[in-house]
Amino acid sequence: MTTKEKQWDALIDQLKLSRRDFVFSGLAAGALTLAPRFASAQAGATYKLGVLLPSTGVGANYMAHCIKGLPLAVAALNKRGGLLGKHQVQIVYRDTETKPDVGSREAKSLILNDKVNAIFGTYSSAVALAVQEIIHEHKVLHFAATSNSSKITQENYTPYTYQFCPDSNMQSGAVWLAVSKMAKKNNWKTFVSIAQDYEWGRDTHKGFTTGLAKVAPKVKEIRQLWFKLGETDFTSYITAIMAAKPDFLYGAIAGKDGETFMQQAGPMGLFKRVPFPGNLITVTELKAQRKTLPRGMIGLARCPFFAHLKEPIMQEYIKRDRAAFGPEGYPDDWACMYYDALGGLEQGAKKAGSIGTEAIIKVLKGATIDTCRGKRAFRDCSNQLEVPSYVGEVWDSPDYPFPIFKPDTMVLAEAKEVWTPTCEEVEKLKKKRA
Amino acid sequence: MDIGPYVLQLFSGLSRAMVLFLLSAGLSLIFGVMNILNFAHATLWLLSGYVTFSIFTFLSEQFGASPWLLLPAIVGAVSVMMLVGLALERFLIRRTYERELPEQLLLTFALVLILGDAIKLIWGLENRRINLGVEPVEMLDTLINPYHFVIVGTGVAVAAGLWYFLHRTRFGKIVRAAVYSRSMVSALGIPIPMIYAMVFALGVGLAALAGGVFLPLLPMALGVDLDIIVQCFAVVVIGGFGSMLGTFVASIIVGVVYAFSILFWPDGALAMIFLIVIAVLIWRPWGLFGTELRY
Repeated sequence: MTTKEKQWDALIDQLKLSRRDFVFSGLAAGALTLAPRFASAQAGATYKLGVLLPSTGVGANYMAHCIKGLPLAVAALNKRGGLLGKHQVQIVYRDTETKPDVGSREAKSLILNDKVNAIFGTYSSAVALAVQEIIHEHKVLHFAATSNSSKITQENYTPYTYQFCPDSNMQSGAVWLAVSKMAKKNNWKTFVSIAQDYEWGRDTHKGFTTGLAKVAPKVKEIRQLWFKLGETDFTSYITAIMAAKPDFLYGAIAGKDGETFMQQAGPMGLFKRVPFPGNLITVTELKAQRKTLPRGMIGLARCPFFAHLKEPIMQEYIKRDRAAFGPEGYPDDWACMYYDALGGLEQGAKKAGSIGTEAIIKVLKGATIDTCRGKRAFRDCSNQLEVPSYVGEVWDSPDYPFPIFKPDTMVLAEAKEVWTPTCEEVEKLKKKRA
Repeated sequence: MDIGPYVLQLFSGLSRAMVLFLLSAGLSLIFGVMNILNFAHATLWLLSGYVTFSIFTFLSEQFGASPWLLLPAIVGAVSVMMLVGLALERFLIRRTYERELPEQLLLTFALVLILGDAIKLIWGLENRRINLGVEPVEMLDTLINPYHFVIVGTGVAVAAGLWYFLHRTRFGKIVRAAVYSRSMVSALGIPIPMIYAMVFALGVGLAALAGGVFLPLLPMALGVDLDIIVQCFAVVVIGGFGSMLGTFVASIIVGVVYAFSILFWPDGALAMIFLIVIAVLIWRPWGLFGTELRY
């Protein structure tokens, strides 16, 4: 039995059925960003980086650390001289409010009014798909690091978009892989799904049910529950789930909705009756719901810092953010992925020897870059970074003031294990811009 | 046939209904008496939730954590928010009585944005919720959060209290009279501005009560106000603006229909509510319990 198989088994065994900060840090980083510009001996043109993330709306809680942390990372880059040692990076931030119309309007404004060289963002897949139309039209470099619908790099593919986050297929792949093993062990036959009724929720659910049907065809979905973004009262959904008496519950719920659902489902006893493996539990949830998250619950993460403590880039990142934001200032998954995006930009410019968009997209195609998550390569056919998804058991660590995933049972589902569809299929999906 | 799941779904629908009733009652009262469509009503509810959270946290630090501290926290928040309501009426709302509805909507929508930013500056972006550490209880072979009984009980008690206030007290009778004819009430020497100010404060107070009572169940987060205000409008349209009985019945209709739609047709749960709204607007535009006079 391989180490990974042992980790999966250990994980399954655990289940056993049982805006102020932004303004201040923005101002501080602005000052830090500008300071070295005058110090550089051979200063080149400033590289304007548009950051499109929500500080309001459903994804605001996920993006808070990114919005605070990215200016600090940019300031550190500028201290080293900036891109190619001579191009200072200047952030121009805009709030998408997690709304596609606002996102595309702000993207247009960043490109036409602020003349940004690149755009980082957004949180929501629906917003990202809308923004892609703008960046493709204007040929602007776009690094996505949290919006993860597979459509971003497949159906809606544009050579200007690079994806630093595991996409919805990779994430749901990690879950169906875990769930199929749990189902076999626990003799699960039925499940109910609950998901956010928008692009990401639908896409993730489809990826999960399609994948699970292949590896565990006897496990049947007996009810689908879709709720609108921003739902405040899950009571009727929870009673409907319990009425169906499923063997397990599958969820595609992120952001504040995830927090609300967990906080209402716990006191209603849902998790005592129905196992809930594989919902998104990132460092944001681990910190915010430290008191209420059921220990032993199996969660899914995208880039948890504690999985890569040996990586020098991660070590440096943690050190800087804790120095800036206090002992609890550990970066969350979302901030880590944007930190990797910034690293990707720096390395892309270095490889290209230029800050020109066309030069950077050319060298990044299929390139391997250093990230918080180790050395990772972009998939040739889709510009998707080959990153793992993380499945683990919520566990109280003596080293942190909040729970993490138990290290000895945490599984890293590598991209290639759940790498769907094939490049030939991706090429067919990319017809839209052909 | 196992009726347990249906009873539980009915109970969850009633719980949702009481959430909507507590919030819509103030909205309906303010429109009924003052003819003001207060778009910021749910934002005031949201603000009151944050105020309750702060008072609860402060009291917990002073006296040690106890779920019972929620009661003084709610009383404190209702008092603070009624004062906020009085101030808003005196300095803003009063200036729009003679204005057209679109102007009132613009003003109250501006309040939504201003209060939202104020919340962001004071409390930040994190969700705020009080954890009472309630354990689920077994009911009909399944588990339920007993706090839902508190929500349903509060909703019924407020409905009974409002009925008593509007039908058995002098001030309540004046308020009801003002719903039908402000000019006649004014002609009798009753100071209408004072009535308006009190009604607005009462409406905001009801929203504050709702904010406090829901805090252990619904986390307060930026943006939820805009989501819930739409459902509140649906309730008052169905029940009839200004009719407390209508608001109560409409809340139950909306809550129960929504709950059972989730059980039988989850994709169309929200659509069902708005189909009812459309039906009411076509066949009885003044609402189920409203009167044509107001319409």
